[in-house]
Amino acid sequence: MVLGLLAVGLLLGGYTYLSHRQHIENPEDTTIPSWSQLKEGVVKAVQPHPRSGERWVVVDSKATLSRLFLGLLCGVLGAVFLGILMGCSATVEALLVPPLSLFAQVPPTAMLAVFFVLVGTDTEMYVAMIAFGVLPTLAQTVHLSVRDVPEELLYKAYTLGASHAEVVWNVIVRHMLPKLIDAVRLQFGPAMVFLIAAEMVVGDVGFGYRIRLLSRLLDMGVVYPYLFYLMMFGFLMNVGMKQLQRLVCRWHDGGRRSS
Amino acid sequence: MNSATGTVGAAAAVQRHDIVLQCINLHHRFGAKKVLHDINLRIGRGQIVALVGPSGCGKSTLLRAIVGTHPPSEGHIAMHSGNGSGVQVVRSPGRDRGMVYQRYSLFPFLTAQQNVAFGPMLDETSIPFRTFRPFAWRQLRRRHLRAAEEMLVRVGLQDALRKYPHELSGGMCQRVAIAQAMIMRPEVMLMDEPFGALDEATREDLQRMLLSLYGENLKAKQAGEKPPYTMLLVTHELNEALYVGDRVVGLSQYWNWEDYGIRRPPGATVVYDDTAPVHGLDQVRDFERLREQRETIRRVVFDPEARTDPAEHDLFWKKVADGRAEGVLA
Repeated sequence: MVLGLLAVGLLLGGYTYLSHRQHIENPEDTTIPSWSQLKEGVVKAVQPHPRSGERWVVVDSKATLSRLFLGLLCGVLGAVFLGILMGCSATVEALLVPPLSLFAQVPPTAMLAVFFVLVGTDTEMYVAMIAFGVLPTLAQTVHLSVRDVPEELLYKAYTLGASHAEVVWNVIVRHMLPKLIDAVRLQFGPAMVFLIAAEMVVGDVGFGYRIRLLSRLLDMGVVYPYLFYLMMFGFLMNVGMKQLQRLVCRWHDGGRRSS
Repeated sequence: MNSATGTVGAAAAVQRHDIVLQCINLHHRFGAKKVLHDINLRIGRGQIVALVGPSGCGKSTLLRAIVGTHPPSEGHIAMHSGNGSGVQVVRSPGRDRGMVYQRYSLFPFLTAQQNVAFGPMLDETSIPFRTFRPFAWRQLRRRHLRAAEEMLVRVGLQDALRKYPHELSGGMCQRVAIAQAMIMRPEVMLMDEPFGALDEATREDLQRMLLSLYGENLKAKQAGEKPPYTMLLVTHELNEALYVGDRVVGLSQYWNWEDYGIRRPPGATVVYDDTAPVHGLDQVRDFERLREQRETIRRVVFDPEARTDPAEHDLFWKKVADGRAEGVLA
């Protein structure tokens, strides 16, 4: 904890020094803004814009986060469905593993034009791109997690009177839940990358759009707070998912410690 | 080779007793490799049958065939229901056969109590019931949890109800696994080396627990009721087999198959089937007393040079017919 705080302190100190040096050479510099410039940037992002009356941070958050969560929701639901099907049926496994392995190699941002043509440039495009981006990897993770469930547990469930649906719902899904939460948590980063990249290219609102716009104007006093905001969002999502895992799968962490 | 047709008396004895499980002309092979050959086995209600044999002889394969996860290549397994619903051929796993594995196989996401209550939940309710009738389900759930608690108290785990499997010792886990099987009141409990991973003291403790269950069987028999616990216990420990079981069945691939005109190794068959002395719970464990039988089993079942004729030691049902058997089939 102390070392972590020390590292953050050093980082901030280093930045202050760099910014100070830069402003001695060029007092109008905005590439490494001073703390007061950063403060102005934050105010600019938070206050209503004089012309549109919109608060940038609010409209951008709304656009980006709704796209992100909707895309992730579709991707996760699809991946869980396909992953479980692949894990439970050899036929579906043989049918779906090859195409999913291939699709997992295609960067979704490279397929932007395809999504553009297929679903237009509205929210659906971002959602489709995120879903397509996370689904193959996530489906393969779910598939492997299902295969990881010891078959003795499945046999035992049957001897206890379980139906096939109950084996899937009450044994397989519960057994793989911690791994699924972990996998979803790890997909936040890639999903954010896909989304920001797409917003930079075709967006008219959202973090990616705003960062691209302001970077062109070298208005780093707004860009850096935006990046900090994204960083904190990612960090909190990570912590939140870990907390969720701890809450929902209390058995998991202890099981890992004891094994 | 056939444990029930050695003599007319033995066949009559089989007819007279309440048979729970029958393996009839059972063969099993993996591809071209034959593993089990012509297994015929009848287990009476209330018996604890110890199944012994050399490593790799197919004990676990036989158990899996009985569970229904690996159906036999030939022959069949029949379960005789105690509730009068007749004979059912085993084709898949079912709630009439409880399973206890060596590595416990408890559901890691459930506490000890929830693990034991899991069976009644699956058996008595369905997903739609639990989803659409939450109040009725909650009431039933309370009853299941109470029954699970009672069962855990019976196996001495009253202090571990809310602990997860990773918080329990190996012996405690195995007690939970036994309680999990027992609460379902299966026709037969199948145990695959249940104490194999435990230390000596815990193993003895659990052996005594099985003996106490056998004691309940004897009491039920004396009261004219159906003995509640029938067990098939796979073990590689001869002392355990003779101490806990009231019957020892030896499965071995070392038998005189050439004399039966068979050209290639046909796999293991039953080469030994005899009574084992019935031990009381308060009786001191005296393995010296079992030495002679242990030596016989070692020679007949485990010796790779042995070319035992399966009919030679097929004695169990003959002894039952002659009134020489102890325990529930006496």
